[in-house]
Amino acid sequence: MDDRELVKKAQAGSRDAFGALVEKYRVKMFNLAYSLTQDRAAADDLAQEVFIKAYLALPNFKFQSAFGTWLYRIAVNASKDFLRKETRVRKIPLEDSPPGTLMQEDTTSQIDDAREKEKRKKMVHSALESLPEKYQVILTLRDIQGFPYGEISQMLEISPGTVDSRLHRARKLLRKRVLQLSARLGGDYAV
Amino acid sequence: MRCKTAEKWILRSLDHPLSDEQEQALAAHRRECAACRALEQEYLGLRQILQAEDFPEPKPYFWERLQPRLESMHRPGLQAVWKQWGLRAIPCSLAVIVFFTLAATFLISPQPEELSQAGMLLRDQNPFQDTLLLAEDVPDNPGMVLLFTSLDENGSLRRQSP
Repeated sequence: MDDRELVKKAQAGSRDAFGALVEKYRVKMFNLAYSLTQDRAAADDLAQEVFIKAYLALPNFKFQSAFGTWLYRIAVNASKDFLRKETRVRKIPLEDSPPGTLMQEDTTSQIDDAREKEKRKKMVHSALESLPEKYQVILTLRDIQGFPYGEISQMLEISPGTVDSRLHRARKLLRKRVLQLSARLGGDYAV
Repeated sequence: MRCKTAEKWILRSLDHPLSDEQEQALAAHRRECAACRALEQEYLGLRQILQAEDFPEPKPYFWERLQPRLESMHRPGLQAVWKQWGLRAIPCSLAVIVFFTLAATFLISPQPEELSQAGMLLRDQNPFQDTLLLAEDVPDNPGMVLLFTSLDENGSLRRQSP
């Protein structure tokens, strides 16, 4: 059964139809929430909240967009509320390492590629979390979730031109933050 | 080409294909500028790291945990009902009170007020209107006539009959 039929049945009161929609989209909602929160429990709560909001708003859904796009729009708005509300300690995973040790490990021992990649990944995510919420959201939708421009434009209700310019600014700022983190912790940021 | 333009085209190339002319110009600049080569690698590396995101498994029994929360949406608690209707009830209640007050003011006729003799005189009213004895249009009460007649007989100021 496609989304349209499931939505119509759910609007008519079928709990099973809504359950089928939840099953279809729960992992996607969870992944989006996790990309922004980097916390499994918080992502789970956020995903549940998205479906509750969708359930309450379902009678007003008029099929002007695909159900998935509409659901993602709710998820993005819920995530923005979460990002605004939460006062999160910016995770700097390498903070306990004295400056310069990252480079010392590179030169004095065998390079552990997996560990290095993990550290860079955490550094990039820390930098991502420090960005303003609109840049976090757009980078998450484009680079992490892989949505095309057109869908991002619909989800965020902005023009494709704005998606373009916002994405460019977000990437420039992300790079700048990563370099700042890298300089603070010592060593060069190298991919 | 300036590095600023090169950076702009590098960023654009991450999402859209460049025209042949732009691609050639960028390639030529890349050959000459080590900083822009490194910059391009940084942007590609950042995107690669973001794209390689590992997601943990969602917590189990997602739908089973969601269902009771959806059920509670259909049975709003007293607090939720009060929140929804309480604020609207206040102006409605005030309007009802004002309506009934106005209705009481205009529809219920006032009781006649009791005035003192001085008040009645001020209002040019006969203070003795309740005194039936002196009312001219009230016929004589035979009992009262006899009473006054007897008083007249005993009084020293009885007028002599003509």
